[in-house]
Amino acid sequence: MSPDNLDIQNSLDKDLIASVTDLKVYFESKQGMVHSVDGVSFDIVDGEMMGLVGETGCGKSVTARTFMQLVQSPPGVLAGGNIKFRSKNIKNGSQVIDLLDLSENQIRELRGERIAMIFQDPGKALNPGLTIRTQVAEVFQEHRENDVLEKAGLKNKLSGVTEYFVKKYIKQEAGFLVTTLLKIPPLSTYKKKIDSGINRLVAEALEETQIPNPTKVMERYPHELSGGMKQRVMIAQAIACNPDLLIADEPTTALDVTVQARVLDLIKELQKRHKTSVLYISHDLSLVRRICDRIAVMYAGQIVETGDAETIFNQPKHPYTQGLINALPSMSHERGKLEAIEGIVPELIEPEPGCRFVSRCMRRKANCEEIDPKLKPISEVDKSHKVACLLYEA
Amino acid sequence: MQIRDYIIRRLMILPILIIGTSIIVFALTRIGGSPIGIYLSHEMSPAEVQEMKERFHLDKPVPVQYFYWIKGVSQGDLGWSGVASAPVVDVFPKKFAATMELAIAAGIVAVSLGIAMGTFAGARRNKISDHIIRVVSVSGASMPLFWFAILLLIIFWVWLGWFPIGRSDPNLFEAIPHPTGFYTIDALLAGNFSAFRDAIWHLIMPAVALGYGATAIIARMMRSSLIEELQEDYVDAAKAKGLAERVVLKKHARRNALVPTVTVIGLTFGFLLQGTVVAEIIFRWPGLGRWMASAVLRGDQATIMAYVMFTSILFLFVNLVVDIIYAYLDRRVVLGD
Repeated sequence: MSPDNLDIQNSLDKDLIASVTDLKVYFESKQGMVHSVDGVSFDIVDGEMMGLVGETGCGKSVTARTFMQLVQSPPGVLAGGNIKFRSKNIKNGSQVIDLLDLSENQIRELRGERIAMIFQDPGKALNPGLTIRTQVAEVFQEHRENDVLEKAGLKNKLSGVTEYFVKKYIKQEAGFLVTTLLKIPPLSTYKKKIDSGINRLVAEALEETQIPNPTKVMERYPHELSGGMKQRVMIAQAIACNPDLLIADEPTTALDVTVQARVLDLIKELQKRHKTSVLYISHDLSLVRRICDRIAVMYAGQIVETGDAETIFNQPKHPYTQGLINALPSMSHERGKLEAIEGIVPELIEPEPGCRFVSRCMRRKANCEEIDPKLKPISEVDKSHKVACLLYEA
Repeated sequence: MQIRDYIIRRLMILPILIIGTSIIVFALTRIGGSPIGIYLSHEMSPAEVQEMKERFHLDKPVPVQYFYWIKGVSQGDLGWSGVASAPVVDVFPKKFAATMELAIAAGIVAVSLGIAMGTFAGARRNKISDHIIRVVSVSGASMPLFWFAILLLIIFWVWLGWFPIGRSDPNLFEAIPHPTGFYTIDALLAGNFSAFRDAIWHLIMPAVALGYGATAIIARMMRSSLIEELQEDYVDAAKAKGLAERVVLKKHARRNALVPTVTVIGLTFGFLLQGTVVAEIIFRWPGLGRWMASAVLRGDQATIMAYVMFTSILFLFVNLVVDIIYAYLDRRVVLGD
């Protein structure tokens, strides 16, 4: 293990918000263990937009979900590695924690609060049976009890049983009895105030993502909104608590091309304004180049190349990255002809040693099938540009 | 379309459906031949038989007989029940209340237990508790009602003597008024607690026997649809907001899992009504089902027609209610067209 890797195990570099080290997530299947994420390491610099690029099934979404412990187990198995995260909790100051070590309750406190996520298809990620208001409100109810009380004008004005009931109601922990009591006077006045307080917070959150007429949109159900609008709702929900890290899992893939650009600009603008770090996951290299500071390219469960967005795009080193960039359609291409990488992604069930890309690689060498390439800096000068390929190993 | 408009529209269609049902019911019953037999006795002379035929309009063509029947029904005359030796209208309400009390009790057992069991099992997929519930519900769905009912009868009445059979002690219920005909509700209205307890006591065994099959069906549906919902993205999104497992399950997943389950519940109601016939015979429950069984055996067509008409109308209403709940649960459902 190299010395800088050891360093990360104990603490986190000052300029980093998160660091993934040797992450391994496997899935049990009847045919054997599927090595979906197999030794992934990358850093996210505080305040940057980090792009994670790869084709469908390469493990990028699983990597993202692991940040929040959202991988279902079983069948998911966490086979190794860690994710260090700097939680900038205002009360306790900043604090470095391993996200994979946290208990269910501890990770729950971070979810939606310090780490938030935008999903690929907003049509599926919003509950069809609940209004927009109900769904966005939950973030505030879970993490912003004090804000809710303040907006309701009830801060420091409650005590005893009333306070207990009202807080239960905000936290969605109220049982049948408390819910009923809050529906009848005198407690119903508090409920009304809390509800209107929540309404205001939700409206503000929706306004933040430039949703017109937030008070009207709030009362709608997801199916009554357009795709772009739904994704704005998802974004509003994600940034409601001003998280340190925003994970965007292909947030524009399910949208119309015309809406994509606007949603993308919105994410970029919000990221700049709130200085949020973003992990942007996409299969679209040109899109990632447009908005991300750095890029990590993933192939078959492993990172094959990482570096500055421009460097990766202009001087790709790994044959896979080169193939990806070559496959991008451009105006100068001949009509009706699209470049592609030959071959198919290998099976990830109990994979053989050696480079995963070898079967599709145009530049393979004799020992590529035997030796696992390690992710290493390409030169002594530029330590940030790393590639996992035997071609560049001395 | 608004839910209110939808209800009004459905209610307007209802009479047409009922008239259609009545034609089918009448035609199907008359296929069994003339119902005159039930009104006759051995001592009657041919002239008296002819007189009987005329009295019940059985000498007319079948379509004309239908109009006489409908005319009677609209005037509150459902005909003469040979089995009960009384006008159908006089016997029907009491027996109907007894059957409804049993069916509703079984329905409450089935819906509450079925949804609870299904949710529990679905949320704990492939764990021990899930396997147990699955065994319980598979046996519930596959055991014939008459067999299970007799089993209960032998164990809890014959051997253990924990539960009685029949419907409540007549002495207790002679004394109180019967505004609804439901013994449990009547006892509560009268404020007679010992009568209420007695009514519940008599109700438990037949209700459990009758409700078990429906419980199993509802539990299985609930389990599978909850498992399906738990795979959806919105469940992950809800978790990603930091919500507790309990809130994710109850507020997000269960609500959507109820949509297909409610449809099944509506159909199950028909299943329950059908089951009352067997349950009433085995537990000596003085309801429509038992009356109906003897009416069918003895060709008491007036009773059969009244029964089938009534249960059909009931079924139509239950399905209307199911549709309304459905629309409430799933806002994407566009009612009507």
